[in-house]
Amino acid sequence: MSGKMLTLTIDGRTVSVPPGTTIWEAARLLGIDIPVLCHEPRMEPVGVCRLCVVDVGERTLAASCVRLCEDGMNVVSQSAEIEHHRRMLTLLLLSEQPESSAREATTGDDALYALARRQGIDEIPFPDGARGHPRGRDDSSPVIAVDHQACILCDRCIRGCNELQHNHVITRSGKGYRARIAFDLDVPMGSSSCVACGECAAVCPTGALTHKALQHWRREWAGGEE
Amino acid sequence: MRLLKAMLALQEAKGAVTDADLQRLARDEGVPLHRLQGLRSFYPAFREQPGPPVQIQLCRDVVCRLAAGHDHCQRVRAAVGDRADVEVREVSCIGLCDQAPAMLLNGQPRRGRLEDVRACLGGTGSDSACVAGTTPARRWPTDPYASPQARYGSLRRLLAAGRPEEVIASLKQAALRGLGGAAFPTGLKWELTRHAAGAEKYVVCNADESEPGTFKDRLLLEQLPHLVVEGMLIGAWVIGARRGIIYLRHEYVHAAQALRQEIERAYATGALGQGIFGSDFGFDLELFISPGGYILGEETALLEALEDRRGEPRNKPPFPTNAGLHGRPTLINNVETFAAVPAICWHGPDWWASQGKPGYKGLKFVSVSGDVARPGVHCVPWGSTVREVLELCGGVAGGRKLKAFSPGGASTPFLPASMLDTPLDFDALKAVGSALGTGAMVFVAEHRNLLDVVLAQVRFFRNESCGKCVPCRLGSQKAVAMVEQVLAGAREALPVDLGELHETMARTSICGLGQVALLPLIDALRRFPREPSLQSLRRVRS
Repeated sequence: MSGKMLTLTIDGRTVSVPPGTTIWEAARLLGIDIPVLCHEPRMEPVGVCRLCVVDVGERTLAASCVRLCEDGMNVVSQSAEIEHHRRMLTLLLLSEQPESSAREATTGDDALYALARRQGIDEIPFPDGARGHPRGRDDSSPVIAVDHQACILCDRCIRGCNELQHNHVITRSGKGYRARIAFDLDVPMGSSSCVACGECAAVCPTGALTHKALQHWRREWAGGEE
Repeated sequence: MRLLKAMLALQEAKGAVTDADLQRLARDEGVPLHRLQGLRSFYPAFREQPGPPVQIQLCRDVVCRLAAGHDHCQRVRAAVGDRADVEVREVSCIGLCDQAPAMLLNGQPRRGRLEDVRACLGGTGSDSACVAGTTPARRWPTDPYASPQARYGSLRRLLAAGRPEEVIASLKQAALRGLGGAAFPTGLKWELTRHAAGAEKYVVCNADESEPGTFKDRLLLEQLPHLVVEGMLIGAWVIGARRGIIYLRHEYVHAAQALRQEIERAYATGALGQGIFGSDFGFDLELFISPGGYILGEETALLEALEDRRGEPRNKPPFPTNAGLHGRPTLINNVETFAAVPAICWHGPDWWASQGKPGYKGLKFVSVSGDVARPGVHCVPWGSTVREVLELCGGVAGGRKLKAFSPGGASTPFLPASMLDTPLDFDALKAVGSALGTGAMVFVAEHRNLLDVVLAQVRFFRNESCGKCVPCRLGSQKAVAMVEQVLAGAREALPVDLGELHETMARTSICGLGQVALLPLIDALRRFPREPSLQSLRRVRS
């Protein structure tokens, strides 16, 4: 990194960073853990889940994963208002989730459910958008299970597939509330050009893309029920 | 633009962009399939399979709803019945609010009353009886040129003996602000873009007006395309750009024709191209037809489309003045803003300032629709009152009393009739809790159900959400679902305070759409305490 170091304060603490550093990264240097679902340090940030919003004194809050530090910036990453918005966003996402997480049933690390537990959420006021699983599942791949209902459109799988692995299979398809992930020209994952590298399932924060464990196949071969 | 242009050409030629088309395009252009799927599924202009020979796109938004009733679309569907050769689709506002209810018949603007639909279907009624989209030409005060030969006079003068800094100073003195609704000071925007580092710069005209009730740019483009082109040329000369693009919504077929003719004429007369009017200034301008969607009027979403991506707004900063099209400094202004520049340069900023009412500067094009006797576009002195505009349009239709009016577009809160004397001005309307927006004034008569009106606005934003960020994608959907459940009697009270959801959307959404999506409803709940239609939404489960 070239250029003069930038000095800013985050939650009253001072930090100096090189130009090009995001607020989220600067906060990590201070040990401040800003919650985020869509960001993953190996990827270009997209700022879509909005959970990492911070107050930089503007009309709207800024997504810290994508907002660059500026010299003299005064950042508030925790406040009653910010916590309130994070909780509201979590509730919105939960209202579309299946009742149990396929990720918690496999690797155990569903980032959205963990966030909800940290926030002490036990009731979701919004209309249930997951009843009947309207977004559907895609079980066509032999190694990756797709549950569109659990997808929060964080774009991590898209970036994992296209930017990290250069396999170029996954896109956002559709628009607005009907947007979802799709493979190639919106074909089932198992008939797409997917090479089953596993990156998408590895970076997915929810139960939308999970690995099918070998025991899944052991059961299949044994002709047993799950 | 290459991919979207290729896809638009396929859609135009074959009535669809099929999987086979995209597989061919992927091979020819060397782009992965998923990227083309992302585009095809995002833009409403594309369809995967050709439709039937008669395709009706019926406007479902507020002004057409006021004109034809909340069940108009159902009645049209019933009239069409099960005819296999006809398809009816409900679409967002198509910018024909002065001729509401309106539709597109195979892409052509038409009036969309039930009798118009029947006439078009039966082939009995004369087709010309339901043609819409062309309004008789008028002499507009912002056109400084008495004859076609005199056009581009301001540009000629500047090229002969002008300095770019003088133009910026004039715009500042004229107090011109962005007339697409955001009100950013134009002189400052031009100055920032001029001083932004970069050898390559662009000028983009945002001609994608799509907010329900807004149609003034349509008229400006149809009747004064030379002022838009000249404004862009002057902008290019000031900031040092050599390429420009007009981004036009695809529904404006008459405007597209007018612009194509004007661009052709300008090249033929030496106003566009290299060595313009004998100077060393060169500028190339092209028209790009949007594959559709209100969100493309958001300037960074528009830039994404021009870069062949899904039209999803960018996180800002950086702003287009510094990092716009292909990351280069880009001057983006609305149609009306560019079209004001030639007059300001020709007559001088003092003349422009003197056109306003005392205490105000300039002229404003307003689109007037809803419950008025004669809907239409008017160019009025800045600071005219809402009442004066209503009178220009013959008052409330049917001699009724006025209940409420929205002064500037779907996101500008409705005000009660008691505020009719508010001047049309960014600051004056902001001070009373609404906004001038694009100057899209929608009037609502006393007998109307205000909830139906404001809910139509919220539904519009939900329908047009791009889905990129969580608060807008889910918040707009949940809000409408909850309200509809209460109205249908499925819930006794709202499960959450809509005001709180609105606050989260307003503070955390990436762009203006999500930030204002619930505002029309939230504001009406606060501002119209005695409105009967809103009472059922006042209860929130505790």
